[in-house]
Amino acid sequence: MVVQVGGLSRLKKSKQKKKSNISFRLNLIFFCVFILFATLILRLGIVQIVFGEDYKREIEQKEVVPINSSVPRGKIYDTNGKLVVGNTPLKAITYTRSTSVKQDEMLDIAKKLANLISKDSEEDFKLITKRDRQDYWIMNHPDEATAKIKKADKERLEKKELDKKEYDKEIYDLTRERITEEELNSFSKQELEVLAIFREMSSGTTLSPHIIKNKNVTDEEYAIVSEHLDTLPGVDTTSDWDRYFAFKDDKGNGPLSSVLGKVTSSKEGLPKDSLDYLLSKGYSRNDRVGKSYIESQYEDVLQGQKETVKNVTDKAGNVLESQVYREGKSGNDLVLSIDIEFQKRVDEIIEQKLGSARAGQPYMDRTLVSVMNPKTGEMLAMSGKQYVKDKETNKTEVQDFALGNMTTSYSMGSAVKGATVLTGYQTGAIKPGDYLNDRPLKFKGTQVKKSWNTSGFGSINDLYALKRSSNVYMFLTAMKIGGQQTYVPNGPLTIDKVAAINTFRKNFAEFGLGIRTGIDLPGEQTGYGGGQIPADAGKVLDFAIGQYDTYTPLQLVQYISTIANGGYRIQPHIVKEIHEPNNTGELGPIIEEIAPTVLNRIDMKDSWIDHVKDGLELVVNDPQGTGYGTIKNKQYKIAGKTGTAQALYDGPLGGHPMLWNVTFVGYAPYDNPEIAVSVVVPWSTTDATHVNLEIADEVFKAYFELKEKHLNEGKTGSEGTEGTQTIDNN
Amino acid sequence: MTSNKNTTSKLDYSLIFILLLLFLASCLAIYSAQASGQYKENFLIKQIVWYVVGGGIIAAVMTLDSDQLRKLTWYAYGFGIFLLGFLIVAPASIAPVINGAKNWFVLPGIGSLQPSEFVKIFLILGLARVVDQHHQKTLLKTLQTDFWLLMKMGIVTVFPLALIIKQDLGTSLVFIAILVGMIFISGVSWKLLVPIFSTGMTLIGTIFYFVLWKPDILEKYLGVGEYQLRRIYSWLDPYSYQGSDAYQLTKSLLAIGSGQTGGKGFGNREVYLPESQTDFIFSVVGEEYGFIGASVLISLFFMLIYHITKVGMETKNNFYTYICVGVISMITFHVFQNIGMTIGVLPITGIPLPFISYGGSSLMGNMLGIGLIFSIRYHYKKYMFSTTA
Repeated sequence: MVVQVGGLSRLKKSKQKKKSNISFRLNLIFFCVFILFATLILRLGIVQIVFGEDYKREIEQKEVVPINSSVPRGKIYDTNGKLVVGNTPLKAITYTRSTSVKQDEMLDIAKKLANLISKDSEEDFKLITKRDRQDYWIMNHPDEATAKIKKADKERLEKKELDKKEYDKEIYDLTRERITEEELNSFSKQELEVLAIFREMSSGTTLSPHIIKNKNVTDEEYAIVSEHLDTLPGVDTTSDWDRYFAFKDDKGNGPLSSVLGKVTSSKEGLPKDSLDYLLSKGYSRNDRVGKSYIESQYEDVLQGQKETVKNVTDKAGNVLESQVYREGKSGNDLVLSIDIEFQKRVDEIIEQKLGSARAGQPYMDRTLVSVMNPKTGEMLAMSGKQYVKDKETNKTEVQDFALGNMTTSYSMGSAVKGATVLTGYQTGAIKPGDYLNDRPLKFKGTQVKKSWNTSGFGSINDLYALKRSSNVYMFLTAMKIGGQQTYVPNGPLTIDKVAAINTFRKNFAEFGLGIRTGIDLPGEQTGYGGGQIPADAGKVLDFAIGQYDTYTPLQLVQYISTIANGGYRIQPHIVKEIHEPNNTGELGPIIEEIAPTVLNRIDMKDSWIDHVKDGLELVVNDPQGTGYGTIKNKQYKIAGKTGTAQALYDGPLGGHPMLWNVTFVGYAPYDNPEIAVSVVVPWSTTDATHVNLEIADEVFKAYFELKEKHLNEGKTGSEGTEGTQTIDNN
Repeated sequence: MTSNKNTTSKLDYSLIFILLLLFLASCLAIYSAQASGQYKENFLIKQIVWYVVGGGIIAAVMTLDSDQLRKLTWYAYGFGIFLLGFLIVAPASIAPVINGAKNWFVLPGIGSLQPSEFVKIFLILGLARVVDQHHQKTLLKTLQTDFWLLMKMGIVTVFPLALIIKQDLGTSLVFIAILVGMIFISGVSWKLLVPIFSTGMTLIGTIFYFVLWKPDILEKYLGVGEYQLRRIYSWLDPYSYQGSDAYQLTKSLLAIGSGQTGGKGFGNREVYLPESQTDFIFSVVGEEYGFIGASVLISLFFMLIYHITKVGMETKNNFYTYICVGVISMITFHVFQNIGMTIGVLPITGIPLPFISYGGSSLMGNMLGIGLIFSIRYHYKKYMFSTTA
């Protein structure tokens, strides 16, 4: 290779230059690395030194834990603003278990508390389980407990190759089993009291206040515990509430008490059947919730918004500070459509009339009255009384049975004939004003079917049939509906029983008979018989006079309301308004007003309905009418239909004698109905009783008299104030 | 390694010392990290085993002199490309999809192997070889030859990059970092470097602009997934974003920050961080040893870089210098990116902290790189003796 000298030197130079160039750039790279690493250290300084304190605090502060404390439940008022259900404030001593507290610390607090409060009632001791006693014994006698486990036991268990946790549990269980009865019963009364307190303290959920005592907390107890709160970590003195019925008598019975429903105690906690649902809605396990009827149906309204306190705790679980995260709010109040004064009056009427009618009547134990505004569906009264024999004392007592209006059903008899006639029109079987021959009907192989006037009324029209309650007119109508146009004495009954009964049921359902009325209460029944096909065709004829399917008194009042208001089946409701809570004792601002709901319009012409209404008017106001004699208050323009059903007894006394249910449905005034009434008195031994009509008469009277009274009160400007005086014991 | 008396004197003792310190730091950190009990495996034992294997790799590489390295370069490079390519087509039985990416060979009995960790070193060798060869052939340096050099370097880098960019963004960035370092040292004229780097910076700036203000355009025209964008967002504002990245960043900041100046001491961790034995090992160091400990670890890396820089300066062999710069770029990028992401300086990308994070492949790759440095020290001294003698 020939290299020029000049070239060589240039190459050398270039090489040297290159080398210095490389080291320069290498230095530059190193400088860049230095800058980058310096950046990291600078940033580290910011994170660890400048903000380190903040991060450290963030670690020390554990999660903030929301705590819910209960607020008073909403109150229930009657339609005039009188308090029906309120709350009684209670003093309560609570314990909030922190996450880090140890058993012996809790025991120590329990011992201190036992000196300050008494929790030694029999009820308290009854709650102590065997398991509680065993645990408590082991806690108090650690050495003796250890001695109960022999070396052989340990060796045996070690062979099982359990992990430590399982092993410890086996040992513990074995120790528990070996505690003798004698040892378990060795606790003094003092110790038992400590145990009663201790078991309450440990049964609460962590970080959630659990009530140690809220019954009969004396002022002294409350004060002395309040004074010593600083030595009792977790213990607090607060207020709690208990449900209070304004109109309860000493036996615990009050107007509507069965319909108002009950609230669970905090021991019961959430009802099992809706546990998951309620937990998902943010309830705690020991929350008190409505468990039946209005209290349950309107749980969402009555249950307030719990106060949520967030506790900031340190790592050990000690509460550092509490902040109110969400303000608590009392539950909203309900205003019922019931007028409690009217309700009470109806209760009295029933009690009095039933009381005297029961003489010599072993089976007649109950009476049910539903009163509804036929235009709005507002329940004005829901009244029921039942005589119940106390099993222990063998004494017969009257109990509230308002619930029976929707949960029990009976054969209602002729009261349903309005629906029968209208079904006849609708199917074209009869026309308004048609005459039919009322005489005893004898079909081949069946008993004679006849009206109560056994020889028959002769040729009568529909109005006469309603007025005098002709059965045969309804039988003949039912036969025509079933496809048999003529009656042949001693001939066969050839109707299509399936088609006929289905037609009847479909049309009756338009009035609410046999289906749910849709009242705003849980547990409504629809009666028996629906869907059942009768064995013989004669039963279809019985259906037409209300002696086959059974209906509830509530269905009955919906049915008569549908006729009264001109054909609209309206949904009954017992709650009228929902109000904001107001601590001054007056009703708060209205949140929701329950509007009338029309469930369906019956498929009948207005003229037909009017025609039937004419018939119903005659029942009470025509001297021949079945209700004329007993319903005396003609000035209220009452229309209605009586009913007397032959029915098999299925009540509490056992046996199934054939008895009579006497019923009444009606409304007033007939030219502009504002109240609809159903009266049901089941299980009379005679059909000669008029207790049903007497009750109805009194109920109408009570209603219109009270209406008058309220009107006068309104004039003097005192309406409403009467209610507020008794409101709120909170 | 110490069998031959003559060779012992040529051993780079200060480098061994630095490595031992890193080994110690790794052991302490992994021991603490696995105390959280997320896994049943004992990572510490495995890491020690990997270090021993790594020592073997260093010894093996040390025996190769400059000429042998040059000759081996393309074989190694080709083998690396083959492994990466094979990874893509390999059946799931030996190359399963882990965490949404197919980066690993899982070999029964040996464990998992991430070829890209080795390819980094092969890329360094390849680039060093290309630059060195270019300068040997090009006697008169012009802009044109420089440009041609850039092209060649680009071609060498593009193959491995193309094979992993979809799978493993972190390692792709390492490749790019290596390329940038090599370009810088390759002696390419400033007249080319300045426009190239400024274009690069502008490009990054523009991308950032789009990510932050016009993400819909990126998604629409470049097919960038929302999750990739979210990575950036959760880095910039971890407290407002949900998801694993933001979670890891906030937890990591909490761990490091609460370590404060002096740290909580060995085994006193309080913050639970998933996968803290691998990518988030620095959080463990920061929490337990505080600012002082973390700074010492960073300084240790800085000493390592300083040492490699010195080796690169001292050697007369340019090929060696290029290798040194490649290794420097690689380690620097790894360290800066990894530590940076744990303290919120950079977005989270899954690359480990060299020598500290648990992981066989990563450690082997780094040991391979350090092995090259040992080899340079070992052999350039020999050259020096030979020329002076």
